[in-house]
Amino acid sequence: MFGKNNKTPLPAKKKEDIPYIKEGISFKDWKAKNGSGHKWRTIRWSVLIGINLLFILSFMFDLSLLEGSLSGSRLFGFYLMDPFNSLQMLIISAYTGHIKFLTMNFVIGFLTIFIFYFLMGGRTFCSWICPYHFLAEWGEKLHNYLVKKKKIKEHTYNIYLRYVFWAGFLILAFVTQQLVFEDVNPIGILSRAMIYGPGLILLWILALITFEIVYSKRFWCRYVCPVGATWSLVGKASPFGVKFELDKCAHCLDCQKVCLVPHELWFVEKGKATDKRHDVGSDCTRCGLCIDACPGNALGYTIKGWDRIL
Amino acid sequence: MGKNDYNLNRRQFLKSGAIAVGALAAVGAGVGYLQKVTAESRINQKFLRPPGAIDESTFIYGCIKCGLCVQICPVQAIKLAGIKDGLAYGTPYIDVREQACDFSCDSMQCVETCPTAVLNFVQFKDVGEKAIEEYDATHKRDENYNPFPVQILAMKSIVKMGVAKLKPESCLAFQGKGFKGSPRGSSFKGVNRSPYSGDLKATPVHDKVYDEKICDICVKECPIGDTAIVMADAGSGKMVPKVLDGCTGCGVCVMVCPTEEPSIIVEPVKS
Repeated sequence: MFGKNNKTPLPAKKKEDIPYIKEGISFKDWKAKNGSGHKWRTIRWSVLIGINLLFILSFMFDLSLLEGSLSGSRLFGFYLMDPFNSLQMLIISAYTGHIKFLTMNFVIGFLTIFIFYFLMGGRTFCSWICPYHFLAEWGEKLHNYLVKKKKIKEHTYNIYLRYVFWAGFLILAFVTQQLVFEDVNPIGILSRAMIYGPGLILLWILALITFEIVYSKRFWCRYVCPVGATWSLVGKASPFGVKFELDKCAHCLDCQKVCLVPHELWFVEKGKATDKRHDVGSDCTRCGLCIDACPGNALGYTIKGWDRIL
Repeated sequence: MGKNDYNLNRRQFLKSGAIAVGALAAVGAGVGYLQKVTAESRINQKFLRPPGAIDESTFIYGCIKCGLCVQICPVQAIKLAGIKDGLAYGTPYIDVREQACDFSCDSMQCVETCPTAVLNFVQFKDVGEKAIEEYDATHKRDENYNPFPVQILAMKSIVKMGVAKLKPESCLAFQGKGFKGSPRGSSFKGVNRSPYSGDLKATPVHDKVYDEKICDICVKECPIGDTAIVMADAGSGKMVPKVLDGCTGCGVCVMVCPTEEPSIIVEPVKS
C-alpha cells in the first residue's frame, strides 16, 4: 500500500539458528545471562529532565544558557524554533505579508532545528526532549497495568492519522488566522507552564493523559501530534537510527511490547524480515527502549552506512 | 505484510480519518466562535502589548508564544496571558499597575529578541536614523563616539503602547490634596528608575518616600518627561496633571499612583 516492503521475506529461521538454542540454554537463562537493564532509558530521561531543567533555571536565575520555551528558544544566544509552530506562522504570514518582517534569527533558528533533527533522526525530539512524552510514558505504564488486569480494553487507530491532523491543523491555522495548534499543543503548554508558571490550561493536559490511560495507549503521540509528524517526515533519510540484526533475534517480541510505534518493528516477527539487517523507519523516536529490552542485542543504535564501512 | 495488525488497512484509515476531520472541524468551529465573540476586544486591543508591537490582528498569529521577551525584560514587566484570556493565550502583555515598562533597559531588548518581529524596530527606523544624523552633526568620530544611547532614547520616546488617561474623580491633585510617604506601601514589589536620580539601575518603588504639597508623583516619575505629562493650571490656580501627545503608555504613572484604585490608567492604542 505504501510501497515500502515489496520484497519477499527470507525463510523463517531454522530451530537450530535461534540464538539461545544455538548456545544450548533455555530462553529464560539466555535472557537472564544477557541482562536487559535500563541503560538507555536512564540516559534518555537524564537528558530530557536536564534540558527542561535548563530552561527553568535559565529563567529563574536569569542565566543566558537556554532561554525561551520549547516553542522558540535561544541556546547561548543562538535561536531555535519549533517547526510546526513556525510552519503555521509562515503560512499565515506568507498570505498576509508579515513574512517580509521576519528576522534573520528566525530563519537561522528554523533551519538549524531542521538540520539538527535531520542528523539526529527526526523524532529523536519526542523521546529525548518532549516533556509530554515523559508524562505519557508513565501514563503508558499505568495503561498497560490496567489492560493486564482486564479493567479496560485496548483501542488502536491508524497511525497515518497524524498526517490528517498535520494537514488539518495547517489548514485551520490558515483559515482562522490563528496559531490554533499552539493553543492545544501539550509540548508548548507544559514547557511554558514549567518555565513561566502553571495555569488553568494544564487541565487540558490532565484530560489528555487521562484519555490515554483509560482509553487508547499513547493516543496523542501516536495518532495526533503534528510536531511528531513533522519530525517523522524530516527523519525519513536520517543517518542516525536503530538497526536490527536478524541473526541475533529470537523472535521473542519483547521489543514490540515496549515500543511506542510497534509497526516500525514489523521485521522482528517470525518470517517477516526480508534482509539480514533492517533499519527502523522514521516513526521511530530513537528512545532505546527496544535496545534495553532485547535479550540478544539484536537491536542497537547506528549511523547508517557508517558501520558498514567499518 | 503483518502491518494490518497495527491498523494500517484502508477501511480503518477512512473511519479514523473521518473522526479526525470531525475533531478538527470542531476545533475550528470553536476557534471561529471565540474569534466572533472576542472580535470587539481584538479591535480595541484588550492588552497592553510590549513596545514595538504591531497591529493586534497580526500580533495574534505572528507571536509564537516563546516567551523570550518575558525572559529578557530587566524589570520583568512582561507576562504571558493565561487561558482565561481565550485566543490570546500565551501572548505577552504588560500589567502596568504591578510593574510598568520603565524604559530602564539598554536597548529595548524585548524588541531585539523577538524572532518573529511582532515586536519590531520598523516603526522606529526613521526616528532612529534622524537621531544618529543629529548626533553625527555635533560629535566627532573619536573614541567617545557612541550614538547608540541617543538613538535608543529617541526610539523610546516614540513608543506608542497606549495613552494614559486621568480619572479626576479620585485623583488627589484634583481634590487639591498632597501626598506623604511611599505611594504603594512597603510590600509592593515593583521597580522603577527615576529619570532624575541619575541612577542607572531600577530601584524598588517602596524605597522611595515623597512629601508633596499637591500630589504630582506621576509627573515626577514619568520617564518621558515634559512632552508626555505636565502639571497644568486647571483654572483658579489649581494645578493638576495633564497628559500630552508624547505619552508612550509605559504606565509608570499608573504604577506609582498612590490612590487605592489608580487615578490614572493606560488605554491600549487602537489598531
